[in-house]
Amino acid sequence: MNLDLLFQKAKQKGIEDVQAFLSHKNELSIEVFNGDLDKYEISDSSSLIVRGIYQGKFGTFVTEVMDDSIIDLIIDNMIANAKIIDSPDEAIIYAGDKKYEIVEGLFEEALEKKDAAEKIAAVKELDGLLHKADPRVSIAETMYSETTRTVLLQNTKGLKLYNKVNSAYLGAQVIVKDEADQRTGFDLDITNDFADFNLSELADRIVKEGIDALGAKPIASNNYEIILRRDALAILLATFQNVFSADAVQKGLSLLKGKLSETIGSELVTIVDDPFLKKSSSSRSFDDEGCATKYKELIKNGVLTTYLHNLNTAKKDGLSTTGNGFSGSVSFINMKMISGNDTMEAMLASIKDGLLITNLQGSHAGANTVSGDFSLQASGFVIKDGKIGAPVALVTVAGNFISLLKDIVAVGDDSKTSFYGVTCPSVKVKSMPVSGL
Amino acid sequence: MLLEKSLIEEIIAKSLATGADFAEVYTEDRISSGIMLIGGHVEKANSAKTFGVGLRLAQGLFSVYGYTNSKNPDDLLKLASDLSKSFSADKKTVPVKLGKIEVGTHHKVKINPRDVKQETKVALMQRAYKAAKEYDEVIQQVSVNLSDWVQNVEIANSLGRYVTEERVRIRFYVSAIAGKDGMMQTGGEGPGTAQGYEYFDTECNVEETAIKAAKTAKTMLFADECPSGVMAVILNNEFGGVIFHEACGHSLEATSVSKNASVFCGKLGTVVASPIVNAIDDGTIENGWGSANFDDEGYPQQRRVLIENGVLKTYMVDLLNTRRMDHKPTGSSRRESYKFAPTSRMSNTFIDNGTSTFEEIIKATEYGLFAAKMGGGSVNPGNGDFNFSVSEGYMVRNGKIAEPVRGASLVGNGADILFKIDMIANNLERARGMCGSASGSIPADVGQPTLRVHSITVGGKKGAK
Repeated sequence: MNLDLLFQKAKQKGIEDVQAFLSHKNELSIEVFNGDLDKYEISDSSSLIVRGIYQGKFGTFVTEVMDDSIIDLIIDNMIANAKIIDSPDEAIIYAGDKKYEIVEGLFEEALEKKDAAEKIAAVKELDGLLHKADPRVSIAETMYSETTRTVLLQNTKGLKLYNKVNSAYLGAQVIVKDEADQRTGFDLDITNDFADFNLSELADRIVKEGIDALGAKPIASNNYEIILRRDALAILLATFQNVFSADAVQKGLSLLKGKLSETIGSELVTIVDDPFLKKSSSSRSFDDEGCATKYKELIKNGVLTTYLHNLNTAKKDGLSTTGNGFSGSVSFINMKMISGNDTMEAMLASIKDGLLITNLQGSHAGANTVSGDFSLQASGFVIKDGKIGAPVALVTVAGNFISLLKDIVAVGDDSKTSFYGVTCPSVKVKSMPVSGL
Repeated sequence: MLLEKSLIEEIIAKSLATGADFAEVYTEDRISSGIMLIGGHVEKANSAKTFGVGLRLAQGLFSVYGYTNSKNPDDLLKLASDLSKSFSADKKTVPVKLGKIEVGTHHKVKINPRDVKQETKVALMQRAYKAAKEYDEVIQQVSVNLSDWVQNVEIANSLGRYVTEERVRIRFYVSAIAGKDGMMQTGGEGPGTAQGYEYFDTECNVEETAIKAAKTAKTMLFADECPSGVMAVILNNEFGGVIFHEACGHSLEATSVSKNASVFCGKLGTVVASPIVNAIDDGTIENGWGSANFDDEGYPQQRRVLIENGVLKTYMVDLLNTRRMDHKPTGSSRRESYKFAPTSRMSNTFIDNGTSTFEEIIKATEYGLFAAKMGGGSVNPGNGDFNFSVSEGYMVRNGKIAEPVRGASLVGNGADILFKIDMIANNLERARGMCGSASGSIPADVGQPTLRVHSITVGGKKGAK
């Protein structure tokens, strides 16, 4: 689409300023099921989000039709949408920052250039390794997916920014079975450097997760000392990400409302947003509003220091944006909990009777981001006299997000980025009610 | 017409040239609108035009899929050619001739969303806002969302299927937050339909919807924490049906059955539930939220009796999965959009009426939880373990509904729970949901009469009784 023509026609119809956000995506995904290539998908798609200010209000239209014939429809819809907006929010189109960090390594051409046949071969090899790893592996679904995304942001204030990212993941789900039980193992690794994939290590990890869980049973209901393994903690943190959004806070939809400068966690807890995190495909130098992104501490040693802002929420609070304006709202770029010094062994050794939680489910339904209450299905292992014991499944853990942060008594040294986009270590929690038998 | 018939024929022919034995062209054009009202003000109003073509080729069990936004014949033929490279038979020419397009007309729409002014929609939302806000002084925040879309699809395949239909959906969602002394609780109601805006003149009363949401929020604000433990649970009608959807429905989809990954594999014709259980997935219900004229492979939607008197009668199977299974297709193929290859999915799924009454079930329960409103949940199809949350619950003591409780979740196993249903009432109602799975997020109804599960693990903060 001719963006200059769009801008020009919009001005003629009384739209003061316009911003176009054009994204283009190429995807490849491959699935192998029990040794055979089962799925192969390719795609090429674009979308254009146009936001214009009409009589002081934003009108938005999204289109996947890219030819100039749609320009009139875009403009008419923007105006119709702007006309019904009556919130006092100020509509701002940004002229740009002086400086934008350069985020390196977001796009690796070698990944895109690598032959599809080699990618298929790697998925098949992983599939073979999974079946070989243990005779109890009955089913394996192995998958590879790769995305290349370009973004062009351009507005009538003269700002023009461009970004290109690619990323791939390789992983699998297995079903393992013995005479008495059936369990699943699942994991994947994300990178844009194909050499990072360690197939045998990945296969072992996935199979081990399933095998170790065979025979898992509920434990007696009680309050237990808990270790949340890093991937389980990541699920919980991801679930409550939105409570840090100033948009949610200002609308009364966040449990962190009115808690700035207050202690909301143990002093071991520091949570940051790191837009420049290496090897994260979410890393970027500008947000969807064209503002420069920055590194910031949200919780520092247990104290809530800031919310995440976009232009509008910052203006309302008399602050500057934190560069977190995405998809018309506010969100984290890379949520990260700073790791501590405790090893997993040391944390385990400190517990006589407890529970190591390795997975949590139901976070979309069993967690309330307004009250902070959660009640989630958990699985993991009994901790007995400092050692990992029998596998546990079908129990629930209940709690409250703030109480949990306050009850963290040890922070691990084993930080990793999970596929939920959250980077965190394992932690030890004083006590949580577990409901089982 | 979204694409010229001759172009579709050319795309299919090109797709089959290198050995694929099946090719399908799915074209979609959608106009959608979403309005968000918070605290009485319209904060956001978006609309969107979606267009794309999804192309699927298969040879035996192996299938490939690709999609593009482009309407340009050269781009579409290139996509066909790129995908066909996955197959390697000798070049051949397969003549493809489509007949007259079949138009689906079962679900009538009187007031098309495209003809409704944004201001009219806002007026409905303001009414809901006012009703919820004025319900009680503890209601601190109310948000109302109204979204609608009109989707036109054309589906054609190498077997000669060639169909089209217009699918209209409207979803109205009211969320209320009640707060007091730093404590906050939410309540939500989300009616929806596959009709036009006549829905708000007939079936949907916006004020009643809003008040229901506000009432839940207020009730939960003053509720005690739910005790945990194994107990009898009475699941209410409407959205209570999410238990069957999550715990059993997903495991009856070919997606998991065909790969031998479901606990219901090999169970056709056997007893899988208590004999009082009858379960149905019906994609033909007029203007049903999960209904359509055709499934997303272009075959007529059907009414499927899944479980009859406790015996498993059928799985839900899409055309391509019949290649993995000895099972007839059931018209169950669905997808979110052209960006997804279709697969077998639920439509409007519900447990049918039983012979008890609501009052009888309560009266027969000495101690347990009455889950008046369910939240969402999820299931691991590999072993059937599920969990879901209770958004409005009450304790039942001595055959009477007692105090409200919050924070409850139910944890169990799909294969197991069906046998534990020991009473079913006669008050079947369905409710709207969005179901996310392999082929994306799609509208799906859940439903059931009020029923009792004699024992299930309840998770709550209060600890065991």
